[in-house]
Formats: sequence, C-alpha cells, structure tokens
Amino acid sequence: MNETKKKLLYASLVIGPLAFIFITLFIGRYPVSIPVVAQILWCKFTFSTCNLPDIYQTLVWDIRMPRAILGALVGGSLAVSGAAFQGLFRNPLVSSGILGVTSGAGFGAALAIILFHAATVPIYISAFLFGGLAVLLSFLIGRVYNTTPVIMLVLGGTIVSSVFSALISFTKYVADPTNELPSIVFWLMGSLASARYQDIVIAGLPMVVGIVGLVAVRWRINVLSMGDKEAHTLGINTKMNKGIVIVCATLATAGAVCVSGIIGWVGLVIPHIGRMLVGNDNRVLIPTSLSLGACFLILVDNLGRIITGSEIPLGILTALVGGPFFVYLLKSTKGGGW
Amino acid sequence: MPLLEVQNINFGYDQRDVLKDISFQVNKGEIFFLLGPNGCGKTTLLDCVLGLLRPRNGNIHLNGTNINGIKPESIARQVAYVPQSHEKTFPYTVRDIVLMGRASYIGLFASPSEEDMAIVEEALALVGILHLRDRRYTQLSGGEGQLVMIARALAQKTPLIVMDEPTAHLDFKHELVIMETIVDLVRETGLSILMATHFPNHAFYFENNDIATRVTLMNDNRFLRAGSPTEVLSEDNLKLIYNINARVVSYPIDLDHELRQVIPISTNN
Repeated sequence: MNETKKKLLYASLVIGPLAFIFITLFIGRYPVSIPVVAQILWCKFTFSTCNLPDIYQTLVWDIRMPRAILGALVGGSLAVSGAAFQGLFRNPLVSSGILGVTSGAGFGAALAIILFHAATVPIYISAFLFGGLAVLLSFLIGRVYNTTPVIMLVLGGTIVSSVFSALISFTKYVADPTNELPSIVFWLMGSLASARYQDIVIAGLPMVVGIVGLVAVRWRINVLSMGDKEAHTLGINTKMNKGIVIVCATLATAGAVCVSGIIGWVGLVIPHIGRMLVGNDNRVLIPTSLSLGACFLILVDNLGRIITGSEIPLGILTALVGGPFFVYLLKSTKGGGW
Repeated sequence: MPLLEVQNINFGYDQRDVLKDISFQVNKGEIFFLLGPNGCGKTTLLDCVLGLLRPRNGNIHLNGTNINGIKPESIARQVAYVPQSHEKTFPYTVRDIVLMGRASYIGLFASPSEEDMAIVEEALALVGILHLRDRRYTQLSGGEGQLVMIARALAQKTPLIVMDEPTAHLDFKHELVIMETIVDLVRETGLSILMATHFPNHAFYFENNDIATRVTLMNDNRFLRAGSPTEVLSEDNLKLIYNINARVVSYPIDLDHELRQVIPISTNN
C-alpha cells in the first residue's frame, strides 16, 4: 500500500464513524432539520445558550448523541477485540467472547437484575466483574501446564462459557416471570436504549483503555500469530504480550457488554470484513476493524429504531443486516486470499 | 571465542533424559550438522540453544553471553530460527512475514520503521525472492515458503541461524535450491549455521563446496562422534547409528573437486 493510499484510508477510518454519528442526530420518529442540529452543536461546543425549544436539545444532544457515541464505542470495542483474539489464537473462527467474557457478563447482569431489580449501575458493575472473572477462570484453566498454550486457553474459555450459560439459564428459571425474566431476556438480546452520558463515562473508560492498548500493540499481534515457538525465537516475550492482549481485549469487551448486553456477530465477522478490505496485517486491520465496527453498530442501531414502531433488539439485527453484506463482500473481493 | 558454546548440558522431562552431557561449539562462518535417528534429541537440543527450553544443568553461551535468564529479544539478536514446517494461519504478504524478523529490535508499542523495511528488502534480495514480496505467503510453494522463512531469519541480523530440517517436505529441486542458498549465504555473509537434518549427504554437500563443515552423530540422547563429514560419515559409523549398510562413494567433478555421497544399500545385518 503506498503512502497516499494509506493516508486516505486512515482519514476515512476517522471520518466514517464521525459521519455516522452525525447522521444519527437526524434519524428517528421526530424530524429535526439540519439548521437546528447545526445550531445545537454550535451552542454545545461553544458552551453558549441556545434559543431553541428544550425538546430539540433533549432529543439531539441528550438522547441521539450519547446513543450514537455509545454505539460507536461498543461496536469498535467488540470488533477490535475480536480481531485481536483471532490473531492471538491463530484462528479465524474466534470472536471477542472466546474466553467467556460474554457469558460471564450475561450471568453478572442476570444476577444483578434478580438481586437489585434492574437498577442500571449495579447491573453494569456486576456484568463487568463477572465478565472479567470468566476470563480469569479461563486463563487459570489454560495455565494447568504452567504455560499458556493457545489450545488450552480456548478449551478453558469454552468450559467457562458453558458453565456461565448454564448459570444464566438457572437465573432465568428462578427469576420472577412478570418483571425480572423479561428484563433478563431483553438484556441478553442487546440494546443501546439506555444510553446516557453517565453510561458513556462509566463503561467508556475500560473500552477506551482496551482499545488504545490493542491499537498500541497491534504489530505485536502479527508476531504472536506465528505461534508461541516462532514468536519467542523472533524475540518476543510471549507470556507478557499475550497477557497484554488478553487484558486489553477483555477490558474492551466487558465494558461493551456491560452497557449494551450481548451483541453477537460484530466481534466475529467485522474483522473478516476488514481483512477483505485491507488485508491481514494487524497494523492496518486493527484500526480498520475499530472503525468498521463503530460504523456498523451505529447503522444497525438506527435501523432497529426506525424499521418498526417499537425497537428491535440489536443482537437480532446485527446478523440479519450483516449476513447479506458479508456474502456480498465475499463475492466481490473473492474472500481476500483464504 | 566461539559463536556458540554448549558446555555439558543435560535436559529431561521428569524421569526421562532427553539430552545427556552434550558439549560442542560452533565457530564463525561454520556450518554444524546434527545427525541422528528420530527421537535422538536433535530438536530438543536446538530448542535449548534457542532459549525455548532450559537445561537442567550446564551452560549455553552465545557470543560469550550465558543465555540463561536473558530476555527473549537479546537471544533473538544472536540466533534466528528456521522451522521445519511453518504452520500458516492468516494470508499475510511475504513482506509482512519477513518484517516479523525485526521484532527483537522494535519496542512494545512501536511499529517497524523505514530502516526495518530496507532490511527486509535486503533479506529478500539475498535469498532471491524480492519479486515475491507482495504475494500472499499462503499461496507460495513449499520451497518458496521455506525461502521466506530463511529471509525472515536473515532480517533478524544474527550471526547464527538454527535450522531444523529446513528441506523436509521439499521436492528434489527445491531441496537443492535451499542448499545452494545456504552455501551462498555462508560464503557471502560469514553466517554460522546449526542444522538438524536426516540426510548425511547434506553435510557432504557443504564440504564439497569448501565450506567449513562439522558433523555430529547423535544417538540415545548423546553425541557419539563429531568431526568433519569425511571423518564422521563413514560406513562403519552409519552402521552404528542407523543400523544400515551403506557405501560412501566419491566422484570427481573437476580437476580438484570430488563429490562425496552416501548411498544406502540395505537394512539387513
């Protein structure tokens, strides 16, 4: 890839999500015109007061804006940690939930719903902690032989995921079917509907830390994908580097899952769409996945809001929208060399 | 000072000994062959030299530094590795693969620089595959793939390269291509090579090309014989190690060169 092309690519990776966030401000049941949006953005960024009705400000700045930002963060986090895990585990079928973070967070949320009756902050904290706990358990299982061979980690993740899935079923079974059970089910289907700036601050911190970390070590992921033995002889401390990737990807995914619920598909397929577009070099693939994931989730969330009168959960739409798009790309790029 | 000095190392898993009291050294510009039957400990010995396994006792010095407890990047600047077969996962370009040879020079949060890219091009040119640089390495033939692995080792800029049966799975021609490439590299760059192989004729090939060559015969986890190919690869020694009947023949190719080869005859006693 030559320099001009590279600059163009990186520029579009930054502009893409910003454009999607901007478009989101107009989308919804209540129409808002371009001058109004421009005026609100101007007032907010210059900290001056607007002479517009409160309803516009609430709609554009307090409802649509945080939702779009959260969508970008969640989509980016899931996609980027999926791409990192695929490289680390040398397996294209791996997703961001491979070490059990998703099931763990799901159980944490379900438990909090039963214990605290759907107060949001305890749900975030519980989901985040159990997500982290699940990854820690997978890691400990993978360390049985004192090293952390990749295959043992995957096995550990599979075991931990299935245990937490069983625990999720158990919480559903004991939940009060009139109010708790629907909350659990809706949470598990994924949604950005609860987005407020407060949520962005709480969950955004681990997501941003995780994303920044993965972007920083992205070239090392190339080397790790050569396998432990070769990576070591190439001069890499494999234990430490694997640890950094796992911690960053877990922070990003757990941060995403705890506010949005379980959104499948993004962490598995967005990295592959990235591969078809820019190749396998993680130096380019990681930023591309980040940007594509952000755009994709904002797009899907907008569709979910406008297709029908009531919102369609994200976890349902990601696959329905993304599947055909994936097949189209597969055909037009001939799969990118697989 | 020898480039690599291995002093009385022992290695084993639990009760089972894999290496018993092994000592040898590799000098600059020399190629050192490890020969021996399957399971005699060749790969384990290479793994010890690469710092992947830690011997129970004994010392390994690379360029005068004991490798025990030093960082992987320090070892990787002294010794590079060409694997027997590389398991391909993602379709990286040839350039991206060779670039990974620079890992030990690049910081944790850094990416390769222009200088690293120049070293990669140089390494590709040295093994004669510069024209393949933008190809996906998953689409290369076995021989080309092995040349990419050698280029990656060269990009590490080490004085020593460890090769574990680098011609396994290659066809007749590509085996020769790899051998010729290694001969040229040793001649032009003064590299040293430590190679495990199953073919005694590989050692003769280098000796026939006037490269400083030494061979050691391993059996039952220890060194039995060591010396020049002509001394060590005798009919008696091949019988001792592999329990086969073989002839060592010599064929004059020009006035002052002869080509020495082992011809296996039978496994009967």
